[in-house]
Amino acid sequence: MTHATASLMRPPFPAERGVDAHNLKLGMWVFLASEVMFFTALIGSYVILRFGAPGEWAKPGVVLNIPVTAFNTFLLICSSVSMVKAFAAISDGDQKMLKVWLLVTIIGGAMFVGIQAYEYTHLIHRGFLPSGVREGSELAELVANGTLPAATMGLYGSTFYAMTGFHGFHVTCGVVAMAYLYLFRVRRGKYSQQDYRGIEAVGLYWHFVDLVWIILFTIVYLI
Amino acid sequence: MTTVAATHDVGHGEHAPSGFWRKYIFSTDHKTIGIQFLFLSLFFLLLGGILAMQMRWQLGFPGKPMPGGGILPESMAPGGVILPEYYIQLVTMHGTFMVFFAIMPLLVGVFANFLIPLKLGAHDMAFPRINMASFWFAFAAGMVMLASLFVPEGAARAGWTMYAPLSARPDLSGAELGQKLWSVSIVLLGLSSILGSLNYITTIINNRAPGMTWFRMPLSVWSLFITAILGLLALPVLSGAAIMLLFDQTIGTHFFDPPAGGQPLLWQHLFWFFGHPEVYILILPAMGMVSDIIANGSRKPIFGYHSMVFAIIAIAFLGWIVWGHHMFMSGMNPTLGSSFMISTMVIAVPSAIKTFNWMGTMWRGNLRFHVPMMHAVAFVAMFVIGGLSGIFMAATPVDMHIHDTYFIVAHLHYVLFGGSLFALFGAITYWYPKMFGRMMSERWGKIHFWLTFVFYNLVFFPMHNLGMAGHMRRIYDPTQYDFLKPLQPLNTFISVCAFLLFASQAIFALNFIISLFRGQKAPQNPWLDNGLEWTLPNPAPHGNWAQIPSVYRGPYEFSSPEVEEDYLPQTRKLPTDREPAVLSSGAPS
Amino acid sequence: METAHKHPRYLLIWLYLALLTAAELTLAFELPISRNLKLVILMVLAVWKALLVAMFFMHLKFERWNLRILFIIPIPLAVIFIFAAITEKIW
Repeated sequence: MTHATASLMRPPFPAERGVDAHNLKLGMWVFLASEVMFFTALIGSYVILRFGAPGEWAKPGVVLNIPVTAFNTFLLICSSVSMVKAFAAISDGDQKMLKVWLLVTIIGGAMFVGIQAYEYTHLIHRGFLPSGVREGSELAELVANGTLPAATMGLYGSTFYAMTGFHGFHVTCGVVAMAYLYLFRVRRGKYSQQDYRGIEAVGLYWHFVDLVWIILFTIVYLI
Repeated sequence: MTTVAATHDVGHGEHAPSGFWRKYIFSTDHKTIGIQFLFLSLFFLLLGGILAMQMRWQLGFPGKPMPGGGILPESMAPGGVILPEYYIQLVTMHGTFMVFFAIMPLLVGVFANFLIPLKLGAHDMAFPRINMASFWFAFAAGMVMLASLFVPEGAARAGWTMYAPLSARPDLSGAELGQKLWSVSIVLLGLSSILGSLNYITTIINNRAPGMTWFRMPLSVWSLFITAILGLLALPVLSGAAIMLLFDQTIGTHFFDPPAGGQPLLWQHLFWFFGHPEVYILILPAMGMVSDIIANGSRKPIFGYHSMVFAIIAIAFLGWIVWGHHMFMSGMNPTLGSSFMISTMVIAVPSAIKTFNWMGTMWRGNLRFHVPMMHAVAFVAMFVIGGLSGIFMAATPVDMHIHDTYFIVAHLHYVLFGGSLFALFGAITYWYPKMFGRMMSERWGKIHFWLTFVFYNLVFFPMHNLGMAGHMRRIYDPTQYDFLKPLQPLNTFISVCAFLLFASQAIFALNFIISLFRGQKAPQNPWLDNGLEWTLPNPAPHGNWAQIPSVYRGPYEFSSPEVEEDYLPQTRKLPTDREPAVLSSGAPS
Repeated sequence: METAHKHPRYLLIWLYLALLTAAELTLAFELPISRNLKLVILMVLAVWKALLVAMFFMHLKFERWNLRILFIIPIPLAVIFIFAAITEKIW
């Protein structure tokens, strides 16, 4: 990036140096710090409840669909790559590839949400609820025959839905934000090599959402 | 090297908003938003006070019909006699409104919004529209919480700390909708706070005027900066906890439900992990503003400016690892308890440093006891008392006896009322001319101060004695215990003084309101202060400065030998001053 | 000033991420390793992936230290909180 770019992404009035990041970028990082704490509360509670659980936790893969979720993880990682490619494109001034990569990201994100919604409906159908296992359901039989531990299914449901639900909510907000940017800014050519602050900010948010999922996938699905 | 050429700075709002709605209601101007927070919080401060008066009636005159109690529903106070179910709502909602909707927004929502861009030399906050959103989320949160008072079964009633499972189970608490509304309101408030914090942090880091280096920022701004970081990181934990509580209350999850493996202590850990940084949020801005006012009233630089900054940072840093001292009696792991005891003792040190620095500032100063100065000095004294009682509580063996007694109530009111609220009275009086262009009445300010100071101490100091004697908190009828019966006259005395204390606040309210219309028109710099805000007209215009000023020195150059006046504004250029370094390095001008 | 003139090799990072994910899945389901060791290795792999995303996709590697600090601060807080609350049950 040239000096010209750098100075135009500074505020248009004199100011002390700060952290050499334009306000939108700094603001997004600050916001992400708060999001780390929010997920700390949810994920931390999961860890704490699981450590102190009154019995064994369900084995991985019995309740949750690993192959589908593994694909979903891969999908989200790919959409993170397409997002950074979109960012790289506009930082080089390439409007066309910005459009392409951003669209790919939006579609990837939307697919992630869709697959997760599918996962939820399937789980609920099999009897896995936020409150635990529904009576008379398929999973209730697994509890009855000892494949699933009765004592901790309530906690399992509560923590699973809280964590993945809020993560999914954040992904959805990201998809909506990117769609808005795409429709009302990118298509109108509002971003350029000189000013692509919005793309950078939404990119940071999107990568963060991916990062949280990387942690979540491991500790919720694989352990 | 290219620079952006501009005839004048392009701030966010080049055009001042027009129309009543854009200018006063949906404004993005930080000053207007600050004033909106002011009116909202003062309303909730009044409401919190009214709830407290009802509590004091019951404690002072147990079982007697309350004057005016006839308007309360039969399920709460038949014939005006407060029922236990209503009493515990009063306790809960008094704490909730005072902490979340009065003190916090008064310190942060009002003064962070109002002061930060003015004191730093910025046009506005970094994100004016997010700032507006922050206010409206707080407003919505307040309305939800207010509504919870009027639902059929009544408001939340598990104490402002909302311990689960009492708060999660309506069969235990007797309130369903009221409890849920509490959770919803807190989630909204958390969002408001986080959005605000993000604005303050970004603005302070990135939008300081040239020459406004970190160590030239006033302590009010430093404290608001650190407070914003605390808020940014602590409020999400509360929001997360409130969401989990809401889920337990609505969709049947089991986070805090022991039969299903949930942990009530998890709620306590989550709440206090937020709760302790929260109390530093409630005191640090007050300390910062008091520093500004004391330097001004002493006509001396702040003693030990750098140590003041490091003390604020130390308090904030240590504040993250002391939360367990609220849980000494919870049955938590005793080893963990010891570590919390030690960290809590340590955190007294930076606070003490600040106290000595305030005294050092006043020592041999050219003291002017204007109303803000009186409040600021009272703050120091009351805060010391509150801090000292805190040392008692920090020692776990002592806390075993005084936890959940009136000793704690005395402590928290000394720091929150004697501390934060006195600082707020001083700060509101101090920056009133900047907000409204008029001065509050000095005479009525002094009368209000003395009445408040006397009655306040008569109300809260005896509570130390009550607590040591074993009088527990949140209790509806102390006379049910024989060992508390001899203390009842003290309770009645406290209640009478409390009514007089509350009545005295009418003076402040009237002073505030009447001065809006009939107050003496304020000169530009009525307190002869050095801050950037006093170089603007009263009230300050939209966008603050047409051209961002340059800053040449720190904020506390009082009685400087370089000039004849006893103050030397930050932006005044002396022949020996050079332009800020950043202006010559190619930044836009 | 933004520093990197050339972009990091994003596709290479993507490959690393894919490989690490595959490693996690293999470890979790195929390998006969003790549960605790599995736990530790899986966490290490997850954190490694997260760091790759943060450092390269989010450009943290190329930012000033004071911006990096901002993101780093919450992490010890999270650890302290979880550790303290866990001691309720495991001590």
